[in-house]
Amino acid sequence: MNGDYSKFLQTFFEEVTEHLSVLESGLLTLEQNPDDVEVLNRIFRSVHTIKGAGPMFGFTAMSRFAHKVETLLDPLRNRKFSATRQIIDLLLESADCLNMLVVAAKNGTVIDENKTVLDLEARLETCMTVTAPVPGQKPAPSQSAAAPAPPAPVTSARQTYQINWTPGEDLFQRGLNPLKLFEEIGRLGTVTSCVLATSHLPDLADLDPERCYLSWTCTLETDYPREDIESVFEFAASPGELTITALSSSSPVAQPTQEPDPEPAHSVIDEEDDPRLAAVFFGQKPDSLGAILVEQKSVTPAQLAKALDRQETIRAESKEHKAEASMRVDTEKVDKLVNLVGELAITQSMLSALGGHFEIKYLPILQERLLQLERNTQEIQERVMGIRMLPISTVFNRFPRLVRDLSAKVGKNIQLLISGEETELDRSVIESIGDPLTHLLRNACAHGLEPPEERVAAGKPEQGTIRLNAFHEGGKICITVEDDGRGLNRDKILAKAIEQRIITGNDTLSDDQVWALIFRPGFSTAEKLTDVSGRGVGMDVVKRNIEALNGIVSIKTVTGRRTIFTLKLPLTLAIIEGMTIRVGEDTYIVPLLSILESIQPKADMVQNFIGKGEVVNVRGAFYPIVRLYEVFDLQPEHKNPAEAILLILETEGERVVVMVDEIVGQQQVVIKSIEENFRKVDGVAGATILGDGTVGLILDVRGLVKLARQGQEIAV
Amino acid sequence: MAMAIAAAAQESGQQQGIGAEGNQFLTFCLGDELYGINILRIKEIKGYTPITKIPNMPSHIKGVLNLRGTIVPIVELRMAIGMPTIDYTAFTVIILVVVRDRTLGLVVDSVSDVVTISQKDIEASPDFGTKVDASFLSGIGKSGDKLVALLNIDQLLTEGYMQEAAAATA
Repeated sequence: MNGDYSKFLQTFFEEVTEHLSVLESGLLTLEQNPDDVEVLNRIFRSVHTIKGAGPMFGFTAMSRFAHKVETLLDPLRNRKFSATRQIIDLLLESADCLNMLVVAAKNGTVIDENKTVLDLEARLETCMTVTAPVPGQKPAPSQSAAAPAPPAPVTSARQTYQINWTPGEDLFQRGLNPLKLFEEIGRLGTVTSCVLATSHLPDLADLDPERCYLSWTCTLETDYPREDIESVFEFAASPGELTITALSSSSPVAQPTQEPDPEPAHSVIDEEDDPRLAAVFFGQKPDSLGAILVEQKSVTPAQLAKALDRQETIRAESKEHKAEASMRVDTEKVDKLVNLVGELAITQSMLSALGGHFEIKYLPILQERLLQLERNTQEIQERVMGIRMLPISTVFNRFPRLVRDLSAKVGKNIQLLISGEETELDRSVIESIGDPLTHLLRNACAHGLEPPEERVAAGKPEQGTIRLNAFHEGGKICITVEDDGRGLNRDKILAKAIEQRIITGNDTLSDDQVWALIFRPGFSTAEKLTDVSGRGVGMDVVKRNIEALNGIVSIKTVTGRRTIFTLKLPLTLAIIEGMTIRVGEDTYIVPLLSILESIQPKADMVQNFIGKGEVVNVRGAFYPIVRLYEVFDLQPEHKNPAEAILLILETEGERVVVMVDEIVGQQQVVIKSIEENFRKVDGVAGATILGDGTVGLILDVRGLVKLARQGQEIAV
Repeated sequence: MAMAIAAAAQESGQQQGIGAEGNQFLTFCLGDELYGINILRIKEIKGYTPITKIPNMPSHIKGVLNLRGTIVPIVELRMAIGMPTIDYTAFTVIILVVVRDRTLGLVVDSVSDVVTISQKDIEASPDFGTKVDASFLSGIGKSGDKLVALLNIDQLLTEGYMQEAAAATA
C-alpha cells in the first residue's frame, strides 16, 4: 500500500529520534561554545521540526512541549540572552523529557498531564521571564515566538480572515490529518464559519479513500497575525493551495495576500452539502459517513457495503506492515551494489553462453570468466556486509552526555575525548556494545579518576581525561577506554581477592591474572557503594557481553597514571574465523577466537586423576581433556591422545582441552541457524556451509564442556 | 468408536486442507506400501545427497542438509514410523515438507505419482493391519485400484520427532 499511514509514522519516529540526538549533541557543543549561532540554529530547526510534525500524527503533547522549548530557544538564537549553564541544564532536561514523550507516543501510551512535563514546562516559562537580557542590548519584548502560544501577548488587533484551502489529492498519503489543522486554527481564535466543498468528490465506486477530494473555506476571527495562520499550514499546504484573505479589520489597511494565487480561489460551496458531512470530517458527530450518504441517496446500500468492504481490506493490509525493523542506508552504497549486481548478471550470461557450446579449447576463457565471477561475488559479499555497517558514532554519541551527568554526580571535573567515531561495524555488534561501554565509562568516572584534590596533590591537572577511541586492527575492531587516573592497585585487588577467598595468599599471580580478577561477578574494591557504581556487577557484565559477541577484553594499567581497557570485537556476528577439524568422517568448526593453541601431546603428558578424569600437562598446567568422539558419539581414527591432536580452548575464563583427529584448515565461515528449521542442539552453536556444499557444524565450546561433565556424572 | 475415529480423521484431514471435492496427494513408496502426503504441504523433492550428522540425536533424525543456504533437518521416515531401514538406492529421494512453518526433509524409498483422491474415497484408517501406528495416518485413500495410506505429518512429526528428540536430550 503506497499510502500506508503506519509507514509514515515509522519514518516520523526515525526522524524525530535523529532530531533529538541533534538537539542533545548540539546542546553539549553549545555548553562549550555558548555563542555558536550555527549550532543554535541547528538545534532550533530540530525542535521546530518536531513541533511542526507532531500534530500531524496527533502527538499534541509532544508538539506543545517542543513549542515551549522553542520559545526559550528563540531569544537565545536572536542573542537576546546567552546560554548559561542553568539554561543548558534545563534544555538538556527538556530534551530528555521530549524523548520520553516520543517514546510514549511510539508505544501508544498517553502522557497528557504528566508531572515531569508540566513541571518542566513551568520552569521553561519561568526561565523566559527571569533570565536577564544580555547587558549592552536593549531589552526586547519576546514576541518573536514563531507559533501560537495561547497566553503569548501579541499586539495586532482582532481581524477576520477567510482561509481557503484546497489541498492536493495526495494529502492523506502524506500522512496529514486536516482535522488536526483545523483544531489548531480553532485555537488561534473563533472560527465563525467553516464550509466543506465536496464538488470534486467522485462517485463512491470511483472513490479512492486515500485521496483527498475536498476543500475548505473557513472564516476566522483572531488576534494573531497572518503569519501564525500560515504557520499552521506550513507543513501541510504547498504554495497555491492556500489563500488567506483579510475580510475586515480594525486596522485600516487590509493586508495583501502574500502567496501568489495562480488559480482562482475555490469559494464554490456545494449548496446541497449536508452540514453533517462537515461534522463527520471534523469528528464532531458520531454519525457514520456511509449512513449519511445512504440517507441522501447519493449511494445505494450495496455500493456502501462494497466500499466498506474495501476499507476493511485496506485496514487489514496496513496492519500487517507494523513493527518492521528498518535501517537507513547511504544511497551511494546501494548504487554501487546495483552496479555490481548488473556486472554479476553480465558475467552469468557470459558463462552460460560459453557453457552452451563448450569445447576444451575454450578452457582458458572459462577460467578467466570464473575468476571474474569470483571477484564479483566477493565484492558483492563485502558490499552487502557494508550495508549492515554503521559508524560507531551512533553509540559514542550518547556518551558526552553520560560523562557530563556523571561528572556532576561524582563531583569531578571530567572531559571526554572521542576519536575514531567514523569507524564502521556491524549493526548487531553496535546494538550490543552500548551497555558494556557505558559500564566502562561509569567505572572510569567513579573509580578510575581521582577526586580533584587528589589529582592536584599528585601533580596532575585537576581536570580528568577519558579517551574513547575506536579503530580497525587486523580485521577486528578495537575500542579503547582510557582514563588518566590512579590506575589499578595490585595490592588492593589481591587483598580483596584473598578476603573473598577467590585466591589464597600463597598463589603467585601475573599482573594480567590480577587484573582479570576485577571481571569476577560481585568483585569490587570500592569502599562504599554509590548509585554510580561499586556493586561489582558492572565489570562482570562487560566481560560477559563482550564474550557473547565473540570479543575479548584486556586491561593495561600504569599505577598512578592511567588505565586502558581494550575491547576487541569481530566486525560482524554473521561471519567468524573458524578452524575446521575432523573426527573420523565428520567435520566440525571451532571458533578461532576460543582456540589458545593446539598440540600433539607426548604419551607421558596425559595423566588420569581419580575423580578428576583425564588431564593433560601443558608446561606445568593441567587441563581436563574432553574427547569429542565420546561426547558426540562418533567413530574416531585415534583413541590414544598421543596420536591425536589436542586443542586448548578457553571459554569464560576456563580452559579445556578437546581431542580431535586432525586439523583440516582455517577458514571464514558464515553462521547459519539450525534452530530456524530444527531446534537447539547441545554442544553446537550453529551451522555453516562448507566449500563442498555440505553442512558443517560449529562447536559451542561452553555447551561441549557442559555435555562432557554430564557424561562423566552418568559414567560415575 | 469408529465414528469417533472417522470424525477425528476428518478433522485432521481438514487441517491438512482436504476439501470436499477431493485433493491432490504426492504418493511415495516405503517398501511395497504406498503412502501419500497432501501436495500443499510439499515444498520440493530432491535426490538423496550426503547428510551431515548431528550429534546425540535419536536414530531417525539423519542430520542436516544445505538447501540453497538454509539448514534443513532430515528425518528417516522409515525409522520415524517404525519400519526397518534399507540401503539407499538411486531412487531414494528426500521430500521437503513444511510443518508449522519449518521446512524438513523426509527420506523415502522412491516417489510414485501425484493422485487426486476425493473425500468420499478416503476412509478412516483401521487401527490394525498396517505396518505403522494408525495414529500417524489421517486415513486410507483409494486411487484407482491402489490404496494409499495418507500420512498426517503434523501428528507424525510432533510425536516422533520433536518430543523424542527432546526426550533424548533430557
